[in-house]
Amino acid sequence: MGIVFTRLFSSLFGNREARILVLGLDNAGKTTILYRLQMGEVVSTIPTIGFNVETVQYNNIKFQVWDLGGQTSIRPYWRCYFPNTQAIIYVVDSSDTDRLVTAKEEFHAILEEDELKGAVVLVYANKQDLPGALDDAAITESLELHKIKSRQWAIFKTSAIKGEGLFEGLDWLSNTLKSGSS
Amino acid sequence: MFSLFYGLWKFVFTKDEFHVLILGVDKAGKTTLLEKLKSIYLKGEGLPPDRVVPTVGLNIGRIEDANAKLVFWDLGGQVGLRTIWEKYYEEAHAIMYVIDAATASSFEDAKSALEKVICHEHLRGAPLLIVANKQDLPGVINDEELSEFLNLKELDERPYMFQAVSAYDGRGIKSGIDWLVEQIEKCKRTETLRARAGVAGKI
Repeated sequence: MGIVFTRLFSSLFGNREARILVLGLDNAGKTTILYRLQMGEVVSTIPTIGFNVETVQYNNIKFQVWDLGGQTSIRPYWRCYFPNTQAIIYVVDSSDTDRLVTAKEEFHAILEEDELKGAVVLVYANKQDLPGALDDAAITESLELHKIKSRQWAIFKTSAIKGEGLFEGLDWLSNTLKSGSS
Repeated sequence: MFSLFYGLWKFVFTKDEFHVLILGVDKAGKTTLLEKLKSIYLKGEGLPPDRVVPTVGLNIGRIEDANAKLVFWDLGGQVGLRTIWEKYYEEAHAIMYVIDAATASSFEDAKSALEKVICHEHLRGAPLLIVANKQDLPGVINDEELSEFLNLKELDERPYMFQAVSAYDGRGIKSGIDWLVEQIEKCKRTETLRARAGVAGKI
């Protein structure tokens, strides 16, 4: 009974919760982004083995953000976290042009997962502060985002170090999750 | 026996699903239009216009009309993003091209982008609804004036119509959609797309 009231209460007044996975190759900047979103500062990070999880409150939505380690050997474990995910934030190091093909392949492999069928996709073209970083149009092209036809997607130029673009992405995410059409 | 009835049931009651591309230059009001479509046809859902942010990617809306299911693909209109439009052409049944009819300075850009859309071979024969949007604003021109101004050639090989619309208050949207559905249903391109999907389905 208590649960019913809690549910009712939170649906009337409450913040909605959304479960979000932050994925991407190693050294893309996932952990820096997570803590930039959560604390608003740049923390020094070490390669993530396993995961970090934090709650970020934004636009009346509580984002439960899971940052999963991106190294080749631990990517197979991503799928353990797939159920009940509303959105994927896919982080790309826009200056690492050599590995864009790998980034693309991993990305499309994720999208084929049944458990992520309903998840919307937000791409962060990260590390825009570095020289030689490709812009959003170029990353769109190299990730072949146009192959996505049955779910909503968006791409934002970000710099986790400077804090640019991250919240614009979350704006899109909260709008999309609220309008709930996917 | 069951499957026979099921097949009959499906034949009678299943609606076709059509893909409609919403194109236009940035600030034309494509996403606002999509959200208004959702709120008209889905009763209540849809973002209010002041919450809409520039699209950098793809928004999707699904609505159901009396006769058909429509899937709208709303693509970002900023110059750098227009290259992805054509990646969606092949599977599109029809196009809604949105123009901000209240901002004369955007017309040239809108016209040249539209001409590229019309000429693209992957869109051959696709019905085209040109939306003279923002009819709620002062100084706006109506559908006929816009048609005169654009003075488009090469439209003759496809069904097309100009429609005065306000994505803000919703006027003109329903009649535009009605026209689109009617055109899609009798259009040769739809047959071609259906045949292709059928073949792909069997493989």
